[in-house]
Amino acid sequence: MRRAFDIAFAVAAGLVLAFLLLPILALFIRISPAELLDALWSDVALDALWVSLKTGLIAHFFVLLIGTPAGYFLATKRFRGRGVLITLVELPLVLPPAVAGIALLALFGRRGLLGEQLYALGITVPLTQAAVVMAVTFVAMPFYVRQAIASFETVDPALIDASRTLGASPQRTFWRVALPLSATGLGAGSALAWARGTGEFGATIMFAGSLQGLTQTMPLAIYAQLDLNPDIAIAIGALLVLVSLTVLLSVKLLPSWTRFTSISYISSAPSGSSSS
Amino acid sequence: MRRLAALGAVALLAASCGGDDEGVRGDLEGITVFGAASLTEVFQEIAPNATFNFAGSDELATQIREGAPADVYAAASPRYPDELFEEGLIEEPQVFATNRLVLIVPADNPAGIESVEDLMADGVKLVVGAEGVPIGDYTRTVLESMGMTDVLENVVSNEEDVKGVVGKITSGAADAGFVYVTDAAAAGDDVEAIELPEEAQAVVQYPIAVVVESENAEAALEFVDLILGEDGREALENAGFGPP
Repeated sequence: MRRAFDIAFAVAAGLVLAFLLLPILALFIRISPAELLDALWSDVALDALWVSLKTGLIAHFFVLLIGTPAGYFLATKRFRGRGVLITLVELPLVLPPAVAGIALLALFGRRGLLGEQLYALGITVPLTQAAVVMAVTFVAMPFYVRQAIASFETVDPALIDASRTLGASPQRTFWRVALPLSATGLGAGSALAWARGTGEFGATIMFAGSLQGLTQTMPLAIYAQLDLNPDIAIAIGALLVLVSLTVLLSVKLLPSWTRFTSISYISSAPSGSSSS
Repeated sequence: MRRLAALGAVALLAASCGGDDEGVRGDLEGITVFGAASLTEVFQEIAPNATFNFAGSDELATQIREGAPADVYAAASPRYPDELFEEGLIEEPQVFATNRLVLIVPADNPAGIESVEDLMADGVKLVVGAEGVPIGDYTRTVLESMGMTDVLENVVSNEEDVKGVVGKITSGAADAGFVYVTDAAAAGDDVEAIELPEEAQAVVQYPIAVVVESENAEAALEFVDLILGEDGREALENAGFGPP
């Protein structure tokens, strides 16, 4: 009886693995590695790679720059409505991307809430590269902020208090104590946000459109090439699998080195404060 | 990505609809029609009970090649039906309607566009169909015969089907787009249509055919007859389609 139970569960685990991995394997088997490289070397694929990389980096810069202090604020300050605020920040996580697209249009479109004024100033956002950056930032930001809040919350308040009583300013405490101690979680959040941003499709195609070399990111290129040139679509797909795998592995491996560096940061903090 | 998801959804739908055999003749409830995006409104009006999958004709052809459970294929260009017929995937296509292109702008026409020439102005946001999508290929044909292919430099998005172009205009995201006259009519007051010179018009033909692998071949043929018959003809004409 017990044995049958174990076997049934093992079979379920096997089914899950097969269902999740076989399609990805099929992607790599569909064309030869030589064809794959050839297809990746095409203008469409290279343009898409460049657009994805450029918009992804800019979006990620904003995610880290604004998301980190926002996460710290929400993690450390206690005020009325904090829980509601955190829930609202997380809303885009569960929002369908198409809704994100139409919502961004509702705000920045010509007849949009802000769009009307922006158009009057001669600024158009939809169907530009800036729109891609916005769409990516919109969907990726919650992944990072959520993780940042969780990471900052796990920092022992006693360490923050110790830093303050030893004379370190709030800024210094943030840079030398809170940030290093949260590095692992922030790194994981950063990687997940990057992965989500790279995969962005729905909001981008609605809000930014699809133009090779300008707004056509890798997922959009897959969609556009599927019937024109399937090899290119498959090659970009394979490349994205490798990128995703790298992100996943880096998240899994992160703790082992940040634990080491964060400890060294703590021990260097007091000596650093005396020298300045 | 989205089209694979669509494929899955269609497979599920077809499985759930095709399960029981009670589909009475004359009732088209059990059949799945793959139709060009520009046929969205008129097909739903003609056969409200059928299951539809509307998308770019090229995309639908890819889905049929990948084994999607379609019973009927109706495209906005003979190119893909001819290919599928040669590959033995669909029966011989018959042309059931024609169409022509217009230029549409948002109702408030923010870029002040009155003609194709106005599209040359700097900063105009033009949206067209992607190459390989019928509306995209027709648009390029029309612009070539007008000697106006330079306006393509103002393209800000290549859409995967004609409804994508319409959406970018009705949402006010873009200034102008090339669509079929029937899409302009379906969009109503949200857009303003600008006629194109008659001599520059592309020949837009809509072929329809039963899919060889169809499990509802009889009902599928019935749908094709309906479209080719008097009722279909009338509905198509009302929607602005031309006779074959």
